[in-house]
Amino acid sequence: MYFDMHVHSAFSEGESSLKEIATQAKILGYSGICFAEYFKSKEKMDEIKKEINQISKEAKIKIFLGFEARNANELKKLVKIRREYDVLLVRGYDLKLNRLAVETPEVDILTHPELNRKDSGLNHVLIKEAAKNNVAIELNFRNILINTKATRALIMKHIEQNIRLCKKYKAPVIICSGAISHWQLKDPKVLMSMGVMLGLELKEAKNSLSTIPQKIIDQIKERKSPKWIMPGVKEL
Amino acid sequence: MDNARCKRVMKLKVLPASLREKNRYILFKIISEEPIEYSDLESAIWNTMLDFLGEYGTSKTSAWLIKDRWDKNNQTCIIRCNHLSVPALIASLGLINRLGDTRIAVKILKVSGTIKGCKANL
Repeated sequence: MYFDMHVHSAFSEGESSLKEIATQAKILGYSGICFAEYFKSKEKMDEIKKEINQISKEAKIKIFLGFEARNANELKKLVKIRREYDVLLVRGYDLKLNRLAVETPEVDILTHPELNRKDSGLNHVLIKEAAKNNVAIELNFRNILINTKATRALIMKHIEQNIRLCKKYKAPVIICSGAISHWQLKDPKVLMSMGVMLGLELKEAKNSLSTIPQKIIDQIKERKSPKWIMPGVKEL
Repeated sequence: MDNARCKRVMKLKVLPASLREKNRYILFKIISEEPIEYSDLESAIWNTMLDFLGEYGTSKTSAWLIKDRWDKNNQTCIIRCNHLSVPALIASLGLINRLGDTRIAVKILKVSGTIKGCKANL
């Protein structure tokens, strides 16, 4: 069971429709995908939810709705309405935002912390926080795919460093395609191989596409139950 | 007669199995907007591998695209590499995004130690 937890559709910065992406994901062998959109309004969210439900039945694939926070204000807003959607992602690039993301237990995934940076965007302190709050650090395949030569080499070096620290402090690592088009969706074996190339063991690479997303999905179910109060607290 | 004798002399003796490189055969399928040609695929694979792994890295993989196994109808092919370079090769295949103007995606169908094992998956 493999899951891709970071895909953009035409609702945010993507080029392809939800249906095109869901169909391609099914062909490539995914059990589920998560659309990471940008939060605009509650009406828009309800509209996406409706479409997702319909397409999920048609394509016979599990589809989750996630929102990617691009700044601290957006993250605050999204934390407030955390029970209304499935996955909370934070778009990493700014050091302050990276820190805020790993310190917030409601956050599931910190996406590409090394984006547009000259450093890896994370250090041992932040990784320890991520491990404590169970925030998964993403290995974004699109970042490697769209860049070439020296930029690609630099990005891969930063990802490798983040993975090394994650392994040391036992922080979860998740591998995602980060696709903005259905042609950028990759076979799970391709993502796994890239993980292995960047320092993960084969078993760890498999876990980062199956077990870790599965844990996030279990948390979604837990969060939606009426007994849930906040992360780590529930009625007995 | 002389030529035949010469050929016999020049042919290398096959290495014993214990000294031979352990091969892996990767069966993959190209998902694309339009059917693609073998020559385009071959050049795209070599270019991507040289870009991503470099000349030294590519030499370490012992990669070879098997032309006989190109299936034009199903758009499947088999690539051979040594058993230590499977992740490097699959990651390189994943980095192929386009063949000319055609956008493509690669689906890995099977990794096997023999071509026969790959064929079973077709």
